[in-house]
Amino acid sequence: MSRRISVFTTIAITALFVGLSGCGYNDLQGVDEDTKAAWSEVINQYQRRADLIPNLVATVKGYAAHEKETLEGVVQARAQATGIQVTPETLKDPAAFEQFQKAQAGLTSALGRLIAIAENYPNLKADQNFRDLQSQLEGTENRIAVARKRYIDRVAEYNKMVRYFPTNLTAKFMLHMEEKPNFTVADEKAVAKPPEVKFN
Amino acid sequence: MSRVWHEPARLMLYLCLLLCTVSAWALDVPPLTGRVVDPAHVLPPNMVESLTARLKAHEETTSNQVTVLVLPSLEEEPLESFSHRVVTTWKLGQKGTDNGVLFLVAMKERKIRIEVGYGLEGALTDARSAQIIRNEIVPRFRTGDVPGGVVAGVDAILKTIEGTYQASDKTAPGLDSGVMGQIVVAVIVGLIVGLGLMSVHRLLGPVAGTGLSVLLAPWLVPALITGGVTLLLLTLIGAASAGGGGRGRHRGDDGVWYSSRNGGWGGGSFGSGEGGFSGGGGDFGGGGASGNW
Repeated sequence: MSRRISVFTTIAITALFVGLSGCGYNDLQGVDEDTKAAWSEVINQYQRRADLIPNLVATVKGYAAHEKETLEGVVQARAQATGIQVTPETLKDPAAFEQFQKAQAGLTSALGRLIAIAENYPNLKADQNFRDLQSQLEGTENRIAVARKRYIDRVAEYNKMVRYFPTNLTAKFMLHMEEKPNFTVADEKAVAKPPEVKFN
Repeated sequence: MSRVWHEPARLMLYLCLLLCTVSAWALDVPPLTGRVVDPAHVLPPNMVESLTARLKAHEETTSNQVTVLVLPSLEEEPLESFSHRVVTTWKLGQKGTDNGVLFLVAMKERKIRIEVGYGLEGALTDARSAQIIRNEIVPRFRTGDVPGGVVAGVDAILKTIEGTYQASDKTAPGLDSGVMGQIVVAVIVGLIVGLGLMSVHRLLGPVAGTGLSVLLAPWLVPALITGGVTLLLLTLIGAASAGGGGRGRHRGDDGVWYSSRNGGWGGGSFGSGEGGFSGGGGDFGGGGASGNW
């Protein structure tokens, strides 16, 4: 009698383990962590960009102080972007995510305008400090693009697992995981750039 | 009757769909044929040789992997995205230290990029990369001297890095052919001794054999591999002969071993002597600078 129970128990436990691994319990956790890590990297790079801006604004002011509108635009956009509290929890709140995306996109276009006016000031363009800041800014924008792309890939993986059968059952009933929001544009800088008009 | 042409039509449809998904990228990442990859045929052969030698020497002292790629054209793909694709496909730099650099030139679009791995971003900063492009490369390119510009660029890149970056794991050799040979010898000796001693005592064989093979192999990673392999083989042989009454002497063959020479064990290939060059598994975050002429 007890042997039957222990056989049954063994089978039940084995089935439980197989079932759990088959239903992606661990996989979901793993992909969830990957997504959070990718998100942290995105936030990191956006912060890095925000940190460059005060210096940049100061340098431009030195040469183009009367471009008040553009300069103030950048300062304001930066304040708005850094004002939003972003944490891994933002991923659970699509509205907050949307807000964050919008604020950063606003900062991207404000920065674009700032760099554009430098074209009209040859002394500013030639300034070593400005050049270094500009290259740092470009580097950071590129890092943001890479981080966004990696986040998009991770979230796609995660969302697939959350939606496909049978892992969607594990996600919904055991882990209470939902789909995570994704960026609507992969590289916002590329989109923010006005199209070049060439007269050949 | 009408069913006869359904099959080929369906096959054609699947083929078209397959081709559509396969051709998603605009431009193929060129194969990593060496440290200087020049599909545009802009660099004279002796320059390619001397650059390769310099870059190889640099890798041997620092473990950094600096590569040059001169493309005929980007074919509509944006410079930064293509550059990132190349370095993540080639996996320049050692895994973990991420110390790779790509110096990319696109002839038709007249664009330049220096792509820097995570590990070198401190030495070869965005600002410095931009300065190198602006001060060393672009002026020469503008006069039409592309080879000169490439050499000057490589020079500047190496000098910017050199002295500020030290390789941290020179003591742990990667699995190149020399080390493989030592592992083979160590395992064979361990097996012979172990098998001999197994007739004395069932446990003594595997323990002694493994111990001896570990002592004979280079420390640390190869020794661990050797020990593991020897122990496994001796245990299997021991179990087989216990069950099968002394048959099945030497069942295992040497084919299970790690045959690839690159990456994987955190060491990467340290300028593996036979001329083959491949990436060590490094990663890139988008650092560096672009320019044009």
